[in-house]
Amino acid sequence: MTKMNKDFKLSDLPKRNMYQVPEAYFNRLPTRIMARTAAAETLQPAWQQSLWRPLRLTLAPLVLLLVFVGVFYLNISDRPTPAPADFASLAEVEIMDYLTSNDTQLETADFAELNSLADQELTADFLNVSQKAAEDELVYYRINDEDY
Amino acid sequence: MAFNQLVRKYQQQVYWHIRKMVIDHDDSDDLTQEVFIKIWKNLESFRQDAQLYTWIYRIATNECLTFLSSKRRKFFLPINDVTAELMEKVEASPELAGDDIQLKLQKAILRLPDKQRLVFNMKYFEEMKYEEMSEILGTSVGALKASYHIAVKKIEEYVQQD
Repeated sequence: MTKMNKDFKLSDLPKRNMYQVPEAYFNRLPTRIMARTAAAETLQPAWQQSLWRPLRLTLAPLVLLLVFVGVFYLNISDRPTPAPADFASLAEVEIMDYLTSNDTQLETADFAELNSLADQELTADFLNVSQKAAEDELVYYRINDEDY
Repeated sequence: MAFNQLVRKYQQQVYWHIRKMVIDHDDSDDLTQEVFIKIWKNLESFRQDAQLYTWIYRIATNECLTFLSSKRRKFFLPINDVTAELMEKVEASPELAGDDIQLKLQKAILRLPDKQRLVFNMKYFEEMKYEEMSEILGTSVGALKASYHIAVKKIEEYVQQD
């Protein structure tokens, strides 16, 4: 045993390694390290592993969104579209019956809409007749003179 | 040089460098393997202008310091508690049984801050030149000399105490 003294100098103490390793440790260590490198070579590269996690987190909501959009559009396309009404093939009597039996009433909004259209040349659009021709007809048949 | 040869050449230097810092054999074994795995993965990026052993020592040093700091963070332990844990391991070491002054020397070394302990170990036990240490630790030679000088004084004072 080395004795301690009051004037201890580190340089006076002989250097020695305090620690030991298991028997034949340094003979086995290279083999263990080489085995780990061989195993690492067969594993997925680290950059792929590090890329997969954020990619997975990004793709999950995107896939969910695509599923919702797909379901929405499939529902719309499956819904039966009403056939366009073919008024030309309907008899005038049937139209009149429909209008009288369904309690059709004009509302203030309808008048307002008509009023806003007053300045426009609608005759030509709806009747396919010019305003001049229509007035000529009214004069010719004296329709304006009749009381309604 | 084949990687297998590189391991055989540097394994003892790396292991003892780590062992003197983390004390425990199992921890040293894990860290030594990690160091060589890192060397193997980064061997292609190794700059030829640096010396191979400097580069290897730098990796080993970083592994040690990271291990010790993560140990403190992981267990929310203050510095003294990790030091006390390392001291317990030293006391339990059968090689030191009955050798009071060597035991006290090891305890004195463990009381140094990690980086100063590293400097002390590299100079005292591994007998490295300050220039080599400077390359490995990225610290000036003057700062290393001062750090070692202070470390020796601290150790001598501690050992002289009854």
